[in-house]
Amino acid sequence: MKVILAIAVVLAVSAPAPVLAQQDYKPPTGPAPRTASGKVDFSGLWQKPYVPDLTKDGKDHKGLAELPFTPWGEADWKKYDAAEGDYTGACLPFGMTRSVNTPEPMQIMQSDTYFTFLFEQNSWFHVVPIDGRPHRKGEPTWFGDSVGRWEGDTLVIDTVNFNGRTRLDTVGHPHSDQLHLVQRFSRPDLGHISHEMIIEDPKTFTKPWKSTRTFTLRTDWEMMEHSCEENNKSLWEGRIKIPKR
Amino acid sequence: MRRPGVYNVGAMDMTRLVVGAGLAVAMSLPVSAHHSFAAEFDANKPVTLKGSVTKVEWQNPHIWVYLDVKDEQGRVQPWQCEGGAPNTLTRNGWSKDTLKFGEQVTIDGALAKDGSKTCNMRVVKLPDGRTVFAGSSGGDAPPKQ
Repeated sequence: MKVILAIAVVLAVSAPAPVLAQQDYKPPTGPAPRTASGKVDFSGLWQKPYVPDLTKDGKDHKGLAELPFTPWGEADWKKYDAAEGDYTGACLPFGMTRSVNTPEPMQIMQSDTYFTFLFEQNSWFHVVPIDGRPHRKGEPTWFGDSVGRWEGDTLVIDTVNFNGRTRLDTVGHPHSDQLHLVQRFSRPDLGHISHEMIIEDPKTFTKPWKSTRTFTLRTDWEMMEHSCEENNKSLWEGRIKIPKR
Repeated sequence: MRRPGVYNVGAMDMTRLVVGAGLAVAMSLPVSAHHSFAAEFDANKPVTLKGSVTKVEWQNPHIWVYLDVKDEQGRVQPWQCEGGAPNTLTRNGWSKDTLKFGEQVTIDGALAKDGSKTCNMRVVKLPDGRTVFAGSSGGDAPPKQ
């Protein structure tokens, strides 16, 4: 009997930890906090739903099943084959939509002048002036150029000047360098952000469309280091290819 | 009995395989978006590997589990399988010490497109049926056939 008990204790101690901690988490409750200047404060570490496909609904995400492709957009989508080149697999910058889509959390830091995305995925960041200045003129970039403005308690982040080398989601829905991305942030309560992503791209889509999702404040998490290059065996061993330009 | 297109390595009772597949669907929380599943793996080539762990690399952007697997002729073949992102797995309660050297595991996953002994793992099962590393790097993979 003692032997059986001892075996049971050993098995219990060596058993892997259960994976229920995340499901048990409840975010704090209360009203949305405000900055000293009275603006809604979005600062915090946020859990985001993983959205690998913007046409599929999921927990905390609503997409659009049929994207309004132009002929160019439809053709690009149909010919896309990730096996011929995957820029994210090659650790090139994900761009804004795919950074927001990742399951890794993001931290938001906010002042009266700036709203800053700190993405855990690949330790990337994106700084958005929200003091009323216009878009900068410059070379197109992976994340584009963003400025923010307030519409009441909603912060509207407007991004243009993308280089067109990214894709909207993991399955590879396309966009062009004409992408105009609008992100609307509101905070209905302390524990949540409501986020709308409006995608306008006249080369790829016949009309604007949107993806909506909810972010959850994680007071029990801290940001962790994340390097895409640390052990990217799939690229180094030739199973993932860098896209041709 | 082997289904067409399914590469089974090692003895595997079909009942347990079906149960394992069910668990795979239930437990496959997406834990990484580093790359498209289709860039590297073929959802139409599921695989079940049974072998002993030789190494675990707990590094970004994906963990890798290495194992020795006996083929049908009894020869030991080295395999490697990609898992999720270590940060998310850590938040789910796993660690680099979850699997030990020499531990016997059964991995349910999909083969790499290049024909190498490489897989994307959906579920890692221990001999007593417990699963570890719940979640896959293939969050955008097509539904299992």
